[in-house]
Amino acid sequence: MNLAALEEAVRPELDMALAAKTGAMLRLLTCGSVDDGKSTLIGRLLWDAAGVTEDQRAAIALASQNRAINGEKIDFSLLLDGLQAEREQGITIDIAWRYFETPDRRYVIIDSPGHEQYTRNMATGASHADIAILLIDARSGVKRQTRRHAAICDLVGIKKVVLAVNKMDLIDWSEAGYRAIEADFRALAQSFGFAEIVSIPVAALTGDNVVHRSSRMPWYSGPTLLDHLESVDPKVEPLDAPFRLPVQLVLRAYDDFRGYAGTVASGTVNVGDRIVDARSGLGATLNRIATMDGDRASASKGDAVTLVLDTDLDISRGAVLSELARRPVNADVIEARLVWLSETPFDPEAGYLLRTATDLTPVTSMSVSALVDFETLAASPAHACGVNDIADCRILLGRPTALDLFRDLPLTGNFVLVSAIDGATVAGGVITWAQAGAAAVGDNVLVLNRALLAHGICADLGDSPADNVEFQRRAQQVALLLRSAGIPVLIKL
Amino acid sequence: MTALTSHLKLLEAESIHIFREAAAQFRAPVLLYSIGKDSTVLLHLARKAFWPAKPPFPLLHVDTTWKFHDMIAFRDKTVRELGLDLIVHTNHEGLARNINPFDHPPSVYTDVMKTVALRQALDAGGFDAAFGGARRDEEGSRAKERVFSFRASGHRWEPRRQRPEMWQLLNGRLGKGETVRVFPLSNWTEGDVWRYIALEKLPVVPLYFADLRPVVARDGQLIMVDDERMRLEPGEVPQMRKVRFRTLGCWPLTAAIDSDASDIDAVVEETLASKLSERAGRLIDHDTAGAMEMKKREGYF
Repeated sequence: MNLAALEEAVRPELDMALAAKTGAMLRLLTCGSVDDGKSTLIGRLLWDAAGVTEDQRAAIALASQNRAINGEKIDFSLLLDGLQAEREQGITIDIAWRYFETPDRRYVIIDSPGHEQYTRNMATGASHADIAILLIDARSGVKRQTRRHAAICDLVGIKKVVLAVNKMDLIDWSEAGYRAIEADFRALAQSFGFAEIVSIPVAALTGDNVVHRSSRMPWYSGPTLLDHLESVDPKVEPLDAPFRLPVQLVLRAYDDFRGYAGTVASGTVNVGDRIVDARSGLGATLNRIATMDGDRASASKGDAVTLVLDTDLDISRGAVLSELARRPVNADVIEARLVWLSETPFDPEAGYLLRTATDLTPVTSMSVSALVDFETLAASPAHACGVNDIADCRILLGRPTALDLFRDLPLTGNFVLVSAIDGATVAGGVITWAQAGAAAVGDNVLVLNRALLAHGICADLGDSPADNVEFQRRAQQVALLLRSAGIPVLIKL
Repeated sequence: MTALTSHLKLLEAESIHIFREAAAQFRAPVLLYSIGKDSTVLLHLARKAFWPAKPPFPLLHVDTTWKFHDMIAFRDKTVRELGLDLIVHTNHEGLARNINPFDHPPSVYTDVMKTVALRQALDAGGFDAAFGGARRDEEGSRAKERVFSFRASGHRWEPRRQRPEMWQLLNGRLGKGETVRVFPLSNWTEGDVWRYIALEKLPVVPLYFADLRPVVARDGQLIMVDDERMRLEPGEVPQMRKVRFRTLGCWPLTAAIDSDASDIDAVVEETLASKLSERAGRLIDHDTAGAMEMKKREGYF
C-alpha cells in the first residue's frame, strides 16, 4: 500500500477525531487594507469550496460583465458586497456575514471593511471572530491599516491570526518578497498578545493556495488556507477557567419554580456545587440545571441554561453567579481600553451607561487618559477621543457591578458604552483594571487633588496645554502605583 | 442524516441567548409567526428560552388572505396545542381595495398586504420589538443585518445608522420613536434549519414534503392552484405533479419544485445538495437589483 492510499484509508477516522477535538463551528474574520483583496479572497474560498449556488453563480457572472476588473471573467467580490451603495462604489462598507461548510466544519465568515473611516465596523466584526485572516498585498507589504487592524484584533481578544500574503502572482511568486513581509509582520506582532500566527502566500484571483495547492510556489510547503482553517482549534480558554453565569432574567413558573436563566460565560458548573452572587456575596447550592430537553448534571461555557438554587438569593438581571473560590470583582471603578464607535466624540459632560454581560450601570464620571498611536502602537497621553480612536480611559460607576479583567475572562470583562440620551452604542471596550470601593467617598479614600501634586511631583509644570497633559499623565501614574499597593485613590484635579 | 449536526447546539444556545436578552430589555415584544420552517424553528427556540414558563410575548401573523390553506390549518393547530396567544392581522383597507397578487405587480401587492399590514399590526399592538426568522444567508442585504435591527419612526430601516454589535453584548436601549426587529436565527443557514427540524423532530406544514399537487408551469416556475381564485391563462390546465415547496409565502407568488423528497430526511438531503438558493422560488425578490434592500427600507422585515 502506498502512502496516498494509506492516508485515504485512515482519513475518515482522522476527520472524526479532528471534528471532536476542534469544535464544529469556526468564526473567521477577514481584514486588511482596502484593495488588498479581502472580498476576492472570500469569494474565491466560497466559489472553490462549493459554498455558492448555481443561481448565485449565474447572477455574479452576469453582474461581472458590467464591471471589468483585471480583465477577469468573474468578480468574486460581488458575492460579498450586498448593499447597493457598496455595489455602486465597489467597496465594502458594512460587515457582511457569509456561511459555508465542509464535511467537518461549519464556517461563519465575517468580511470587514478596509477603509479607515469604517474601522469601527471592522472592530465590531472582529469581536465575533475566533480567528482573523489578515490580508497583505505582496506588492506593498505592511501598511498603516495593517497595523491598525492587528491592533484591533488584539484589542477585541483574537488570539489566532493567519497572515495571507495576497497577489503573489504580481510579484512573480517570489519567496524572498514573501519572507520579507512575513518577517515584518512577525516583528510588528510582538507588541500584541497573539498566541499563534500562521502565514500563507496566496493569490486570491487565481486561487493559488486558497483551496487548491499552488504549483507555482514550490518553495512553500505549509498548508493551504482552507487546510489550515480545517485544522485550527477555535478554543483558547484553559479547561479549568472559573465558572461565571451572568443572569439574563429570572424565570418563574407553576407555584414554586424560580430559575436564573443565562448563558455560561466561562468554566463549568455541576449540580451540587456551591455558587455565589458576586454582588451581594450570598451563597447557595445548585439544585437543578433545567432545560426543556430535561435536567442536566453540568453546564459549560456557551450553554444556555436555567439554574435553580436551594435558597432564594433575591437577585435579578445583572447579577453574575460565580464559583466560590475565584470570584469577579464587585467594582465601581474601572480602567479600560476602548474603540470609539460613534461619530459624536467623547464628551466628559455627556451621560453614559456601561453595558456589561447583562448589567446596565450608570457612569458617574469618565476620563480619557491616552490614545493608542497606530504607527508606534504606543499609548500617549490625551484627554479626548473620537470615532475610530483606540483610547485608554477610567470610568467611575454609580454603583458596583460584578466584573472580570478581559485578559482573564473575556465575556465578563468586556462592555459597550451606551449614550444615556439616545441609546446609541458609542464605544466598545475591554476592562484592564477594576476595583471595589475606590469611588466611594470615605475615610479610606485618598483624594489626589491638584494642590497635592502641584507642590511635589508636578512642581516643574506650568499652565500650557502640553504641561496639563503631562500633569494628567503623572496623576494617573501616581494613582496606578498607589492602587497597586492596595490604596483606594480618587483623582480630583 | 448528515454528520454535521454538532454545531446546531451552538446555534441553538446563541438563539436562546438572543431571545432572553430581548425579553429582558424590551417592554412589549411580539413574535412574527409566518408559519413556515423558519418560524417553526423560531417558535421552538422561544419555548426553550423561557421554559418552564411560556414565552412572555404573543405571536403575530400577518394574513394576506392568500396563504396556502395548509398553512392556516397548521398555524391554528400549533397555537391550540401549545396554548399560545396569537394575533392575526389583515390590512382591511387593502382588502377593500381588492389588492391581490393577480391584478397587481408583486411589489405593490407585497407593500400593501405585507409591509403596510405589518406596520399597522405593530403600531396597533404598541410593540417595541418584533422577533423575526430572517437569516443572513438568505440575501445580500440581509447578510449585513444586525441581531437587533433598529427601525426609525415609521419602521424605516437605515442601513447606515445601525448600531455596532460587539461580542455577545446586545444594546436594546431605544431612542425616541425607535423600534427593533430581533433576528435570533441570524447565523443559521437553510441547511441548519432543516437539520434542526429533523434533529428535534418538529412538525412542519405538509407542503414542504413532496406530494401530487395541481400546478401550472409559468415562466419556468411551478405555481400551485390552492383554491378557486386562481386565474388560468388561456389554454392552461392544472396538472398533477409531484412537487414540494422550499419556502412558503402567498401561494400565487411562491413556486414549487419538482421533488421526490417526501420525508424529513429526504428534504435535508435535497436541501444540502441543492444547486439553487432558496429565494430563487420567491418571485417578489427578483423585481429589481437590490429589491430586498428597498423593501426593508420601507419597513418589510
